Amino acid sequence: MLASRVFSLVGRRSISTSLCLRAHGHGVVKAEDYTLPAYVDRRDVPLPEVAFVRDLSAQQQALKEKEKASWSALSVDEKVELYRIKFNETYAEMNKGTNEWKTILGGVFFFLGFTGIILIWQKHFMYGPIPHTFSEEWLSAQTKRMLDMRVNPVEGISAQWDFDKNEWKK
Amino acid sequence: MANHSQLGFQDASSPIMEELIQFHDHALMVALAICSLVLYLLTLMLTEKLSSSTVDAQEIELVWTILPAMVLITLALPSLRILYMMDEINEPDLTLKAIGHQWYWTYEYTDFKDLTFDSYMIPTADLPLGHFRLLEVDHRVIVPTSSTVRVIVTADDVLHSWAVPSLGVKTDAIPGRLNQTSFFATRPGVYYGQCSEICGANHSFMPIVVESAPLPNFEHWSSSLSS
Repeated sequence: MLASRVFSLVGRRSISTSLCLRAHGHGVVKAEDYTLPAYVDRRDVPLPEVAFVRDLSAQQQALKEKEKASWSALSVDEKVELYRIKFNETYAEMNKGTNEWKTILGGVFFFLGFTGIILIWQKHFMYGPIPHTFSEEWLSAQTKRMLDMRVNPVEGISAQWDFDKNEWKK
Repeated sequence: MANHSQLGFQDASSPIMEELIQFHDHALMVALAICSLVLYLLTLMLTEKLSSSTVDAQEIELVWTILPAMVLITLALPSLRILYMMDEINEPDLTLKAIGHQWYWTYEYTDFKDLTFDSYMIPTADLPLGHFRLLEVDHRVIVPTSSTVRVIVTADDVLHSWAVPSLGVKTDAIPGRLNQTSFFATRPGVYYGQCSEICGANHSFMPIVVESAPLPNFEHWSSSLSS
């Protein structure tokens, strides 16, 4: 039979012992935190294993006693207090969004900008001139040659040139 | 050849390439549909119109197993059709050998006569005005239009690859091995390609140029060269 104690969210360590293990002469192994009942605020775990508040103050204990009687005798504030003893956040608080996306987006833009600065620096200080085949004169001669040899005549460049009127199709 | 910022395929100059372009359009449509669906669902989840806390959903698991299987079949069938089409037995009118070297191609037309020549890239500094940088060669591969051409591709030293995108051809050139491919140029024209397997320092500078000419022109060229 397992004898285990309930733990608060503050996370004080405690040792869970097994009477059976002890009886058979096994040593006591310290249980890890993650194996012990714990409190979680999760949408898909509506009833956490333990209540949020472990050690009740005198006032809270009195309230718990009052809870054993009829619930219609409780005021709204008392009901809220009972809720807060059991749970940390409400579903509304749990599901609330954060402003994290602004930080993320800012970081992304920052690094994009930084990359851009590196590229501009490289173009200005590192790279040599581009080949002479990119001059205006060469490009127009090249385009004329592409049209003369009917490069890509189906849907490509030669299909966009009007060979009768000697101009680009409208 | 491609335009300066071209993203899509060059216009097809062989029937196989036409098929490949159609298949690519089909595959991209499927991809667009899937991506739109995923983006839509993602938006629903991020704006909390759809719960992301579902823990047990047998029906939808069935749907998103069967549906993708059907999509894959929709892709596989046309793909295999074209694959088999490429392997059909055809009776080539001409056989051409393309041998890759570092860093030029050698072409042999040995059906009727012994015609062999090397094809080197024209250096940028020597280009006539308006010619295509890194694409022009000194001796082009001339083939007759509307003829099935068989190409035997191999290499002399390291791996190369003989590729002409508008003909839908890409065949690895492997030393000690003969790879066969074929094409059918539907229209006269000049078709450019580049070596497609890394082969050393000048891998980017050994292009392929296929010129498809009407049969009389081809015959005139081949007889004038080999005589």
